[in-house]
Amino acid sequence: MSTTSQKHRDFVAEPMGDKAVTDLSGIGYALGTKLQDQGFDKAYAVLGQFLLLRKNTELFAEWLKDASGANSKQAADCAQCLSEWCNNFL
Amino acid sequence: MPVFVEDPAKFSKSRLKSDLVAHNVSLPSAESKKEVYVQLYLKHVNQKNAADFSSDEEDHEQDAIDKEEHAKDPQMLDLADLTDDDLKAMLLKHGVKAGPIVGSTRALYERKLKKLLEPDAQHKPNGTGDGALYSDSEEEEEDREEEEEEELDSEQVRQERAAQLEEAQQEISQAELCLQNGDYVYPQCFLMSSRLRACASRHWEPRPKRNAGNVVELSSEWSRSQCSQIPIELSRTSSLDEPTGLGSRVPPVSQSDIIHVPTSSSSRTFSITQMVEEMESQSLLSSSTDRERELNGSIVEEHWSRANRLDMLKRDKCTMKNQSLYYTPKASPYELAVKLTQEPVTDIPQEILPDSEPTPTGIHVTRRRPIKGAAGRPIQYKYPDTPVSPMTRERQEVERRLVPIYIQILVFLIVACLLYLIYAYVEDNSFNPFVALLDSLNQESGSEEGHLLQAETQDTPVLDTLTGQE
Repeated sequence: MSTTSQKHRDFVAEPMGDKAVTDLSGIGYALGTKLQDQGFDKAYAVLGQFLLLRKNTELFAEWLKDASGANSKQAADCAQCLSEWCNNFL
Repeated sequence: MPVFVEDPAKFSKSRLKSDLVAHNVSLPSAESKKEVYVQLYLKHVNQKNAADFSSDEEDHEQDAIDKEEHAKDPQMLDLADLTDDDLKAMLLKHGVKAGPIVGSTRALYERKLKKLLEPDAQHKPNGTGDGALYSDSEEEEEDREEEEEEELDSEQVRQERAAQLEEAQQEISQAELCLQNGDYVYPQCFLMSSRLRACASRHWEPRPKRNAGNVVELSSEWSRSQCSQIPIELSRTSSLDEPTGLGSRVPPVSQSDIIHVPTSSSSRTFSITQMVEEMESQSLLSSSTDRERELNGSIVEEHWSRANRLDMLKRDKCTMKNQSLYYTPKASPYELAVKLTQEPVTDIPQEILPDSEPTPTGIHVTRRRPIKGAAGRPIQYKYPDTPVSPMTRERQEVERRLVPIYIQILVFLIVACLLYLIYAYVEDNSFNPFVALLDSLNQESGSEEGHLLQAETQDTPVLDTLTGQE
């Protein structure tokens, strides 16, 4: 991880509230649509899954790859994003 | 009649085939699937019960196929049948602390457990299982050739050997200098290996025989072959016996020990004085390295692993020299010395790095370095590109900044003397500059106060008179 994206910084900077799943770093329109189809329409739903996996970024990345078809980088970005958010606000 | 009439789908393919053949049914093509056989079976052999399989026939077949797949991969079956708690327990047994296993996480944990259950035997470091391919025969051959070569050139070699020994000792002193400067030196496997041996004999107490005994063993062999004129075969076989005994314990050792075998036989061309000289140089080497190690033992410790990594490289170098021996017999003394000092080093990587799996050949792949001194390249005793470890550099840095200890002691003594003198003067009443100074100060202040008082007393009457006048 050299630098974090603007999206990542935006998400980590504040409580997620009712943000959509596409606000997560690494989750774009396509992946967001797939996640919404499975019921993960909000970022907090994805956070719930992340917490269910005991904040294990590896497992979460794996799950995200399965669930949304994300590639490794996208999954890792999203996991990193949620992990940092948890560090800040949980 | 088949035994399990109810479910022909559970029959194996061959069983179905044989039954079909028994009932004079023409078999479908060899590539056809099991379902085809099952259908044929149902149609021809089991027509009476065919109605039972009307609706859920497809399901049964599916089950059968599933079962077959599970049979291939029994762990999958197990995982699918596990309850959530069992799955959690299994994961815990494999060192994974699982979170809550719910619908959305179960698949993930199952996959993880499967990954954990899979034997990770495939992952091995280099050089597995091919131990038989890397026999020692090649080296032995080379050594034999080298023997012949040596017998031919023995006269020449003998003359040159003394000069070479002197050179070698010069190198040692040179290398010591370099060591004191904190540089890392690779003097033709010469110093390093002996250094390692010295360390090894101290560090690896449980096996002193192989470590410390090498020099003694060799020297005893020399003296035997020299003095009492025992046939060479005897000494050679005895020396062969011991290494193989050791080698059965630790495979990499046997290789190097067999390397040293011909040294005893080739060394019979030595004169006794030369032998003694060599032994002295050996002891000098080890003692000097001992000193060296005690001086900067920690640095040696740090270079330890690197030296081990370089063992393989050294061996490469040696074999290179074996080959080049044909046209450069001058190289032989070096090589002999190398062999003498090399043996105890070889199995150290295993002891230093117990984590790494022992490879049957003892080969650990390292980056290849240019072989100096081979193929006409200039011999270079120091690899300039070897980086000094950060710890060592730090220590050097600190040492550079520190004041030498004798200066520290000197300063301390001076300060102590000064303090004592001050104390003595303060105690001494006859001459006390401080008290005198204080007294004079007191007197001054006292006189000033007196003046002030006088002034006040002078002022007050004036005031009194003034008030009186008013």
